[in-house]
Amino acid sequence: MALLEVIGLTKRFGDRTVLKGIDFSLEEGDTKVIMGPSGCGKSTLLRCLNRLIEPDGGQILFRSEDVTRADTDVRLLRQRIGFVFQQFALYRHLTALENVTLALRKLKGMSSRDADAKALLELRRMDMEEHRAKYPAQLSGGQKQRVAIARALAMDPAVLFFDEPTSALDPEMSREVVALINRLRYEGVTMLCVTHDVSLARYVTAQVIFMDAGEIRAEDEPERLLSGHHDPRIREFFGNLGHADA
Amino acid sequence: MDFGRILLLLAQGAGQTILVTLACILTGLGVGLGVAVLRRLRVRGTAWLVETYTYVFRAVPVLVLLFIMFFGLPALGLKVPPMLSMMLSLGLIAGAYLAEVFRGAMDALDPQELLAAEAMGLPRWQILVSIELPQMLRLAVPGMLNEFTTVLKYSPFAYTVGIPEITRQATALASTTLRGVEIYLAAGLLYFGIFQLLRIGVRAVEKRFEIPGFGMH
Repeated sequence: MALLEVIGLTKRFGDRTVLKGIDFSLEEGDTKVIMGPSGCGKSTLLRCLNRLIEPDGGQILFRSEDVTRADTDVRLLRQRIGFVFQQFALYRHLTALENVTLALRKLKGMSSRDADAKALLELRRMDMEEHRAKYPAQLSGGQKQRVAIARALAMDPAVLFFDEPTSALDPEMSREVVALINRLRYEGVTMLCVTHDVSLARYVTAQVIFMDAGEIRAEDEPERLLSGHHDPRIREFFGNLGHADA
Repeated sequence: MDFGRILLLLAQGAGQTILVTLACILTGLGVGLGVAVLRRLRVRGTAWLVETYTYVFRAVPVLVLLFIMFFGLPALGLKVPPMLSMMLSLGLIAGAYLAEVFRGAMDALDPQELLAAEAMGLPRWQILVSIELPQMLRLAVPGMLNEFTTVLKYSPFAYTVGIPEITRQATALASTTLRGVEIYLAAGLLYFGIFQLLRIGVRAVEKRFEIPGFGMH
């Protein structure tokens, strides 16, 4: 069963149509990567899916329930979707542990003790337990991203969204995070990842969605997109990144 | 009468000075925070009220507002005690300035953090209480200390409504001893001492809530 099914999703900002009828689906336990040039609408799409941005048209079916309806409990929808941001977005006044426990206490109503136990479990899963008392400013970029992932996972979301998770990292830290996302994939975590990072696409997914100018232009295996695709626009994009044969 | 004796006599008013200053600071903090919250939550129908308040109260001189409260309102049948008059004049003016300090600090928050909180499903008020206010208050410390100092320096106006604070004691003493230079110098020293106490207090609170790498100065 599809966890997420997007049908004809559209979004306009003023005169500019950013999403022009997006259709795709994501199965439970599946990982898909969305790639495309800057400004093609990738991040807007991700934000429309958890209604951080309100779509103008189309449907988003989350476990067969249309979550674009006016009576949708948007906050509940967001609690079921973990979101990891490019710039980590950790709360600077809270320690790594407190960053993870905040939503557990405030949204799930857990006691401090239970929330701490759950948060420590997730931090351990990210190899970050020893850094639990550190503030974001005391962590490296890769460590911050690990805490951000732990924070998202702690809520036991149905799906994890990543918005350019490696863009703000140096190559070494980027590799660490890619390996981590890959590990989550093998653990069966459902993920949707927006990225420019070809190595991430190659490593963690069987299906890459290529977007251009607000449309999905192709959905295929990473290698088939990366190596001399028949669509010249896709060849051009990956050629500019230095990864296409064409 | 030596300088030490003058200091001791004037110090009898120091308690009132501290009381007036603290009362006006607390009024200012309460109102300033309230305004900051209303602005942040964009509560429907309050924008004009908040903007008019901060605009008007920053423009009116403390003494004029104090006289309106203390001498003007009784003509309308409202008798306002001296301390309350100070809170409604100096306190509300401090509130208007503090509201601007808080606005600046709110604007310095990282929008990504707030987006992350929203994406998590936290309700708006929870984001305000758990993320925005704790960060904003830390960022606002330098501006707050500045405003607290201004309140202390305007506190001698309390003398005009009969509160026996330092300046009133000094004026009374100078009129009977004609040793104005020493007396007002002693008054200045006492204000400086209170300022130092205020500064140390704020720094101690700042230190208590300091976070590594977070922008407190």
